[in-house]
Amino acid sequence: MLGLTITQWLFGILSLMAIMFALMVVFTRNPVNSVLYLVLTFFCIAGHYLLLNAQFLAVVHIVVYAGAIMVLFLFIIMLMNLNPDTEPRKHIMTRLIAGVIGGVLLFVFVGALKGAEQLQLTQSGASQIGLIKNLGHVLFTEYLFPFEITSVLLLAALVGAIMIGKKDTNINVSRNS
Amino acid sequence: MKGLFIIAALGILAMLAEIFKFKKVLYPLVLVGILGAYAANFTEWNNTLNIPAFSNMIMFDNVALVFSGVILITAFFWFILANDYFEHDHITDHFALVLFSLVGALMLTSFSNMTTLFLGVEILSIPMYVLAASQKRLVVSNEAGFKYLIMGSFASGFLLFGIALIYGATGSFDLMEIRSYITQSNGNMPAFFYAGVVVILAAMSFKVSAAPFHFWAPDVYEGSPTVITTLMITIVKTAAFAAFMHLFLVVFGKVNDVWGMVLACIIALSLVISNVTAATQTNVKRLLAYSSISHAAFMLMAILANSRPWGSINSVLYYTLAYSISSITAFTVLYNVAKNKNSEEISAFNGLGKKHPLMALCMVIALFSLAGIPVTAGFFAKYYVFSVLVGTTYKWLMVIAILASLVGVYYYFKIIIAMYFKHDESHEPIKIEFSHVLLMIITTLITLAIGIVPGYIVEIFG
Repeated sequence: MLGLTITQWLFGILSLMAIMFALMVVFTRNPVNSVLYLVLTFFCIAGHYLLLNAQFLAVVHIVVYAGAIMVLFLFIIMLMNLNPDTEPRKHIMTRLIAGVIGGVLLFVFVGALKGAEQLQLTQSGASQIGLIKNLGHVLFTEYLFPFEITSVLLLAALVGAIMIGKKDTNINVSRNS
Repeated sequence: MKGLFIIAALGILAMLAEIFKFKKVLYPLVLVGILGAYAANFTEWNNTLNIPAFSNMIMFDNVALVFSGVILITAFFWFILANDYFEHDHITDHFALVLFSLVGALMLTSFSNMTTLFLGVEILSIPMYVLAASQKRLVVSNEAGFKYLIMGSFASGFLLFGIALIYGATGSFDLMEIRSYITQSNGNMPAFFYAGVVVILAAMSFKVSAAPFHFWAPDVYEGSPTVITTLMITIVKTAAFAAFMHLFLVVFGKVNDVWGMVLACIIALSLVISNVTAATQTNVKRLLAYSSISHAAFMLMAILANSRPWGSINSVLYYTLAYSISSITAFTVLYNVAKNKNSEEISAFNGLGKKHPLMALCMVIALFSLAGIPVTAGFFAKYYVFSVLVGTTYKWLMVIAILASLVGVYYYFKIIIAMYFKHDESHEPIKIEFSHVLLMIITTLITLAIGIVPGYIVEIFG
C-alpha cells in the first residue's frame, strides 16, 4: 500500500482526524458540539501517544482530559445555557484582522517545519521511555525537583479556587483594600 | 536555594494558620520569614558547592541570588504596604497565594531547565490571576482577573509551543545543552528552532507586558486591588525580566541576529505606544500602568544590547531594583491618597503638597526617579541602559527612548503640578498609617542612596 508501513498509515489517519476534529471545534456554532469534537481530538492525540509507545501517557490523557476536564466543560456550558443565539457577533473588520494574523502565523509555522523531515533523529522513537516503569524512574530521579514543585502549583490553584468560591462575610466594598 | 524552600514552607504555614488558629501572629511571622530567606540567600553567595542542583534543574548562581535578593527585599516592603489588605476575610488564603507566587518568582530567577521555567511561570501567574480578582464584588476586579487568566493562559500556551519546537531541534530541555547545541551546530539549526526562539520571545514579551502584547496590562493593573497592582509591577516584573534575561542572554545569546531585530521593534513599539497613551490618562493607576510598559521597554533595551559578560545583566539588575523601589514609594502614596479621597484620578492629588508635605515630597522623588531625572536612581538606571546600548547597531532606539522619556516627564509632572499648584476644596486632612510613613521614607532614601552611589549595585559583577 503505497510503500507505507501500518504505523505510517495509522499516523497519517490519526493526524488527519486530529486536524479535522480540531477545525470542527473552532467552526462549530454550538458550544456543546465544540466540546464533543474536542474530546474526539483528544482521543486522536492519545492514539499518537500509543504509536510513540507511551501507553501510560495515552491512558492518563484520556482519563484526565477527555474524562474529567471535558465533563467539567460540558457541565459549565450547560449551566451557563449558551447557545448559538447568545454568541456575540464580532465586527467584520476584527474577524478579518484576526484571520490575517492567524493565517500569517500558520504560514510561518508551515515554513519553519518545512525541511524537518530530512533531519536525523537524535533519539530512537521506539525506545521504552514512555512505559510507566521508566517514567516513574525519571520522575523520581532526574525530574524530582519539577515533580515536587508542581505540588506548590497545584496547592496554589486549589487555594485560589477556594478563595474565589468561598462566600464573603465582609460586605465592605472599598475600592482600595 | 534555601530561600526558595523557606518561602514555600511559609506558604504552607500560612495555610496551617487557618486550622491551628494563629492568624494573629502570621503577619509578623511572614515578615521574619522573608528576612530569613533573604539572609539564607546571602549565605549561598559565591558558594559553588550546590550549583547546579537537582540534576541541573535549578541553579542558584550569583546572578540568581542577586535577583532573588531584589525580589525578597521588594516582597518585604510590599508586605509592609499591604498590611491592611490582610485584614479581610481570606487572610490566610491571601498570604498563601502571595507566598506561592514568590516561590514562582524565585524559580524564574534560578531555572536552568525549560521544565522549571514553565513551572516557575505558572506558579507565579496562577496566584496572580486569583489575586487580581480578589475583590469579588467589584466588576473591574473580576474583569481584571478574567482577562489576565485568559490572556496569560494563551501566552503560556505559546511558551510551551516554543519549548516544544526547541526540544524538537535540540533534543533537550537543559539550558546548558541547548546552548552547547547552538555552539556546535554553528548556524546550521533547522528553521523550526528559530521559530521556537521567536515564539518564546513573544510569550516572554507578554509576561513583561511589552507592546504589542500589552493590551491586558492597563486593564489588569487598573482593575486589580492597588496593592496587588504593586505586586505585579514590582515582583512579577523583576522575576519575568530575570527569566527573559537568562533565556535570551545566556541561552539564545549566540543567535541574537534572529531575535535582535524583532526585539528592537517590540521595544520601539512599546516606547511609543505606552508614552503617547500615558500622556492622555487621568487615572493615576492607569498612568503608572502605561509607564510600566515604557519601563519594560527600557529593560528590554539592556537585554537587546547583549553586552557580555556582565554589562546587560548589571544594567537590568540596577533598573529592576530602582524601578521596584520607586514604584513601591509611588504606590504607597497613591494607595493612601486613594483611600482618603476614594478616587484614583490625578485630581485626588490636588493640594497634597500643603496637606501632607512629606507624602508629597516622597511622591516627587519617586516620580523623578520614574521619569529619570538626575540624582535619583531612575536616572542612572536609564544612563546604564544607554551606556550598554551605545556600542551596538541599535543606537537608533536611543533617539526614540529619549523622546519617549521627555513625554514621560510631561505626564509625571501632571501629578506633581496637581500636588503643588492646585487647590483642594475639601479641608479634610490626609490620614496615613505610621508604618506606611516609615516605608515611604525608607524607600525614598534607598532611591536617593542608590542614585548617589550607583557603583555598589552596578559593579556587583565584573
